[in-house]
Amino acid sequence: MRHSASTWVAEAAAVFMKEWRCEFRTRYSLNTLALFAFTTLVVVSFSLGPLGVSLSKGTALLPVLLWITLLFSVAAGLPRAFVQEEETQTAMALRLAATPSALFCGKLLYGLTLVFALEALVTPVYVAMTSLAIASPGLLVVVLAAGGYGLAVGSTLVAAIIAQARTKGTLFSVLAFPVLLPLLVLAVELTRVAASGTAPDVALPQLLLYDAVVTVAGLMLFPVVWNP
Amino acid sequence: MKKLLAWLLWLWMSLVILGAFLYAPLAKGFIGESSRILFFHVPMAWVSFVGFIAAAVWSARYLFFGRDPRHDRAAAVAIELGLVFGVLATVTGALWARIMWGAYWNWDPRQTSLLVSLLFYAAYLALRAAVDDRETRGRLSAAYALLGLVVTPFLYWVVPRITYSLHPDPVVNAQGKVEMEARMQHVLYASGIGFAALFFWIHNLQCRVQALLDRKSAL
Repeated sequence: MRHSASTWVAEAAAVFMKEWRCEFRTRYSLNTLALFAFTTLVVVSFSLGPLGVSLSKGTALLPVLLWITLLFSVAAGLPRAFVQEEETQTAMALRLAATPSALFCGKLLYGLTLVFALEALVTPVYVAMTSLAIASPGLLVVVLAAGGYGLAVGSTLVAAIIAQARTKGTLFSVLAFPVLLPLLVLAVELTRVAASGTAPDVALPQLLLYDAVVTVAGLMLFPVVWNP
Repeated sequence: MKKLLAWLLWLWMSLVILGAFLYAPLAKGFIGESSRILFFHVPMAWVSFVGFIAAAVWSARYLFFGRDPRHDRAAAVAIELGLVFGVLATVTGALWARIMWGAYWNWDPRQTSLLVSLLFYAAYLALRAAVDDRETRGRLSAAYALLGLVVTPFLYWVVPRITYSLHPDPVVNAQGKVEMEARMQHVLYASGIGFAALFFWIHNLQCRVQALLDRKSAL
């Protein structure tokens, strides 16, 4: 690429700003997504029963349901980043305006802020509703950050893939869930560790490695996915 | 020449079947004749993974070395065959697990990793079915195959965790330490070679069929 580093950063930042500006213009979709996450959360918590689950079973079961809720919310909200470009036929203009890697990073940053916002909304309410005891909150924050990043980066790449296909909505879940499965298992395992307060084992470095590997794969594969 | 190779493959596989039932001894500690499924089940699982890796190689060649439609077809056919062999390996494995462990499904590490790779194959084929333009289809599905290849190795770390945390099953650990007799090894490796040859033979036929279909639809 002949672009200098500063124009690359400016491009990525411009894509990021554009995404949020579009979101705030309608706001409708953002509200719907927040409501979706909250409704899923209430359905999950309520289905467990008003009495909840016992403490010993809770540390095994509740982290699974938390991450499933987060996964579904991400699947409901994130694909729009690319699907919208194809639907409003702005994709071609975007191809001309930004280098693929800058575009990917801008979209990833948008997805990341969206996932973090969802986590910030869902996790405290979930912990309060299900009375999940968290022994080490610091570790939980780290796991949410690393797991949320993995969700964002995997979903961004898959969203770019499905945006050019038919039947976008269902296809996203079909393609993304096998990719995100290792991340989900590691995140659940670490959330259990955070809940029970034992020392984290190799799962944390493995989760970080997953994030790094999928980021590199995304940067390498995105240009060929994006440019015809 | 090609016909001769096909007949040789037929002869080879016949010998493998005979060997599996007549030449190889029964493994110790297995119920009845159940250990004989090994000679078919294990090679099919191998071939299923070979199909996945071959598809990733063809996808990389398609994406980064000159967008040759033949490589795209080869990758798609390898995934299709990988799915067929993977389903067969899963079903035979489940039947054997029912006899040995008392349940069709145990979340054994190998069962699980095969199941997840089957999800990948199926998702890949769903993606292909959802794109009409041939160039776009090749590009997107090749990228997805490579993403799958990058993520799958994590299952080798992740899957033992699931098994350990939810289903601690000592049978699974003992299974990894089966000491095999020489005659069983002969049949198993011969079967592996046979199934690999079968895979590439069907792959070759199916690629040619696909090429003809593509030409027909282009007319």
